[in-house]
Amino acid sequence: MSIVEIEHLTVRAGSKVLVSDVSLDIEAGTWCTIIGPNGAGKTSLVETVAGLRKASSGSVRINGTKLATMNERSRARVVSLVPQHPEVPAGMTVKEYVSLGRSAYHGLLHAPSAQDRRIVESVFERLALEEFALRDVVTLSGGERQRMVLGRALAQSTMVIVLDEPITGLDMRHQMELLELLKTQVEECGLTVIATMHDLTLAGQFADRLVLINRGGVVIDGPAGEVVRSAELAQCYGMTLRVVDVDGADVVVPVRS
Amino acid sequence: MPEANPPTSRRVAAVTILTLIGLCLAVVCGLAIGPTPIGTMRILGSVLSRVGIGHSTLDTLQSTIIWQLRAPRLVLGLLAGAMLSVAGGTYQGVFRNPLADPYLLGVAAGAGLGATFAIMDIGGGTYTPTWTPLMAFAGAMMAVAITWIIGGRGLRSNAATLILAGVAVSALLTSMQTFLQQQASAQSIARVYVWLLGSLASASWSSVDLVLPYVLVCTAICVVAGRALDVMSVGEDESRSLGVPVRRVRFIVIAASSLGTAAIVSAVGLIGFVGIIVPHIVRLLVGTSYRRILPISVAFGAAFLVFADTIARTVIAPSELPLGVVTALVGAPVFVLILSLRRRMVR
Repeated sequence: MSIVEIEHLTVRAGSKVLVSDVSLDIEAGTWCTIIGPNGAGKTSLVETVAGLRKASSGSVRINGTKLATMNERSRARVVSLVPQHPEVPAGMTVKEYVSLGRSAYHGLLHAPSAQDRRIVESVFERLALEEFALRDVVTLSGGERQRMVLGRALAQSTMVIVLDEPITGLDMRHQMELLELLKTQVEECGLTVIATMHDLTLAGQFADRLVLINRGGVVIDGPAGEVVRSAELAQCYGMTLRVVDVDGADVVVPVRS
Repeated sequence: MPEANPPTSRRVAAVTILTLIGLCLAVVCGLAIGPTPIGTMRILGSVLSRVGIGHSTLDTLQSTIIWQLRAPRLVLGLLAGAMLSVAGGTYQGVFRNPLADPYLLGVAAGAGLGATFAIMDIGGGTYTPTWTPLMAFAGAMMAVAITWIIGGRGLRSNAATLILAGVAVSALLTSMQTFLQQQASAQSIARVYVWLLGSLASASWSSVDLVLPYVLVCTAICVVAGRALDVMSVGEDESRSLGVPVRRVRFIVIAASSLGTAAIVSAVGLIGFVGIIVPHIVRLLVGTSYRRILPISVAFGAAFLVFADTIARTVIAPSELPLGVVTALVGAPVFVLILSLRRRMVR
């Protein structure tokens, strides 16, 4: 069953078309990664799915309900966001930051309930954040910080999580750690992941499905193995790419022309 | 990597208790200190007699001094300090800008223009008309409304655009005020100048009655908004993704802060520094959460302004120092002291 239905979605900023007539159905409990060169429209697409941009035409439905008909609070209960450049306010502890994910449940006039606190504690356990709980958010390293932002999104207890380039700026070990944590949530909790990524090798290894977009439109959409080996991929990036099989994993290597 | 030093609940409790003690001391100073010495216990007896406990030992003159001069001045000072401080803290939160103060969107410039117009045009520059506060209030609200409209047509605006619109509107209205003053006599310029510096000297129970409903409602709204401001500290887009109706919250808290500030400015003139310094001092003491900063700023600001006013009216008695001058002279060293203590604690 499709949990996210994107139908003929077009997004404009002034006269510029950012997303052009995109239609996608994403199954519940799957990981779909949007790939494409810079300026292809990946961020605009996922921001629209997260409800941060308005569709110029077409629609996005989550679990059958149109996003455009939901208010902020309802939307925050069905889709959460890990932004490309999250803001980390100095002076806030990691626990306070992750607890922000429960705002849509307890509202802005009430303190978190016992259930809210239990959910936050469970997120801390799942992401091994306990040792940072009372640290100021600005003192965390890049990898710890990204894990904390993921924790906030998981605390929202949504069916769908949207991540915009979540591993940018992290070293290889922290990239793998974060993606493994996310994969565990998909497999164990039935979470649906929609992510944008630049690393085609990691995108192919973790996603069930890759969607290549360019100039706002879908170029090719399918299982990771097919998309990384497609001729369209190299065409979109305007370069020569080779795919090497390393122990069953596709490694995408750019080749100097 | 520096270890964080988030405020413990014990520290927050200690700061809250000390602030409340300070507030009680400020009330005692506001009532007891003045050119006519009246014993604190006799004042307390008079206060208790008003609620049906015991009887007052003050004579008629002393009772008039306490209840018609010092008490309204004290209450207006408490209201002004509380409102300006909570409005400043709220502005700093909603605009995510540490330099924000309650006058950011043009309240001061608008009120200044309104008051100048009243003193020079209606009063002919020879006296300060009784409806100067009304003109100041109207000017302040007009300025915020213009800022709101040109800063992105209200709800669709973002914080940075509003701040820029506020700067532009303030500059425009200040230049209009300067033009008006240029046409005036030295006497009327002096009256305008006295009003602009702010003072509690003309406080009366009627001025308290006038501002009390605004201050109570607007302060309550700002304090309640603390939790929303905490979420909004992660930026507009992220706050929306967390379920906060950012633009509606921004409209409500800006409207409350501006309305409360306009009411206070219309009654006491332009008292600077309180709105920016008090939330910063409180932030240094209890951390960055607006759920803690805003309610403590209410009590801290109220006490701070009453202490400042006590200094203003006693240092060169029977004359008075401008209150805005005292708030800056007292506030700046206190702020620097707390800042350096905090730095030492973090190290």
